[in-house]
Amino acid sequence: MPKTRHLDPHCEAILEEYQSNLPRFREVEQTVKQKLSDTFREAGLLVAAIESRVKAYDSLAGKLELKGQKYKSLADITDILGLRVITFYIDDVDKVASAVEKLFEIDWENTIDKRKIHEIDSFGYLSLHYICSVPGFPYRFEIQMRTLLQHAWANMDHDTGYKSGVEIPKRYLRNMSRLAGMLELVDDEFSKIRIELTDYRRKVQSLVRSGNLDEVPLDGDTFRSYLELEPFSQLNKRIAAMNQAEIQDVSILPYLAVFKGIGLKTLGDIATVIKEYSEGAYQIACYQIGLTDLDIISSSIGPQDLCIAYILKNGGGKAGIRHMFDLLNGESESNDMMAEMLLEQSKGLPFMNK
Amino acid sequence: MEVKITTQDSVTTAQLIGRLDTPASQEISGDFENLTKYAAGTVILDCTQLEYISSSGLRLFLSLRKAAASKGGKVIVKAINNEIRSVFMMTGFLNLFEIQD
Repeated sequence: MPKTRHLDPHCEAILEEYQSNLPRFREVEQTVKQKLSDTFREAGLLVAAIESRVKAYDSLAGKLELKGQKYKSLADITDILGLRVITFYIDDVDKVASAVEKLFEIDWENTIDKRKIHEIDSFGYLSLHYICSVPGFPYRFEIQMRTLLQHAWANMDHDTGYKSGVEIPKRYLRNMSRLAGMLELVDDEFSKIRIELTDYRRKVQSLVRSGNLDEVPLDGDTFRSYLELEPFSQLNKRIAAMNQAEIQDVSILPYLAVFKGIGLKTLGDIATVIKEYSEGAYQIACYQIGLTDLDIISSSIGPQDLCIAYILKNGGGKAGIRHMFDLLNGESESNDMMAEMLLEQSKGLPFMNK
Repeated sequence: MEVKITTQDSVTTAQLIGRLDTPASQEISGDFENLTKYAAGTVILDCTQLEYISSSGLRLFLSLRKAAASKGGKVIVKAINNEIRSVFMMTGFLNLFEIQD
């Protein structure tokens, strides 16, 4: 049953204006949301969520009942349409704000950066609220921007704090403040980690580009950067040329585990393996497909045959080859059969007898 | 070369029977095109009775895998004989497919 409200004619008029403009608010809600989403996508900015709502009738009626005289008309109420952009990182809040400034007209007089009005000795609700408008729509709307952690805190605080209607003992309020302070620190730490990781990746890319591979430890990030240089391309092309084969591009990333498994520690180690074992890898490929009419190979043939040549030449034997196939394909008895076959095939190859 | 396709729930099984050489690949390319319709789910290529595979056969497998990857499905290659397994390995395609013994 709807709550009985005691509204004066002035507030009733505002409610009527609201109802007749409701479809327009919903339309603007979708347009603004879409604009935000498109802009973030084009800028490569990953946000956790974009939420939106048009204030419900009852909620507006309640607000008017409490402080209706404060508003001359519906246009004075800036949160009929509200959107919220939730970011993963604290520095992305400013990026979102900058995008919002470009997309919409901002009412700077009524816009609040709650991050800046904090007392220096308090923690709490940190978020940025912009009051915006778009041409052709006479009503303003609000966009809130905050991080996931700020969002979590705001929801918890909302649930337990000032809107619950129950007075909270001071010690609980103090605990909420402590928690807010901790979340603020965590947000900062996440940002620092992202900045440090970006710096690390830049440094690695620069080392890779300049050819200082011995200084670059082998890990998922560095291996990915190294693959951009197509280090196995020359060997793959040489193998393909044997049968005028087409090369299908596939991911080489599964070979990271194999390279680590055979004890390589840096990108320089991979470069050395390529330099010293390409001839062996080529001989293996020649033996296997040189006398067939197979005219399609994958771009992982180079790293695969390089690892086989390295393992066999360094005494890894059948167990070493099997381990390689287990890492790549999952454990299977058939891997044993292939390891056995490769061991036999390679015995007569020149690189094994050098 | 014969292909028998059966579907149960979201799993489609194609039994490949015979030698998948170049002429056979052309012969069954329509069947593989049909299989791409099911590529959003799981497609099992049952190779229990597949004796041989050529480059053209590999290409059929690869195009099906590509269709599955784009639709969020997967292709399982089941019960390949040692000769076919070697072909997958020699061409570097072994770890591209989920292979079931």
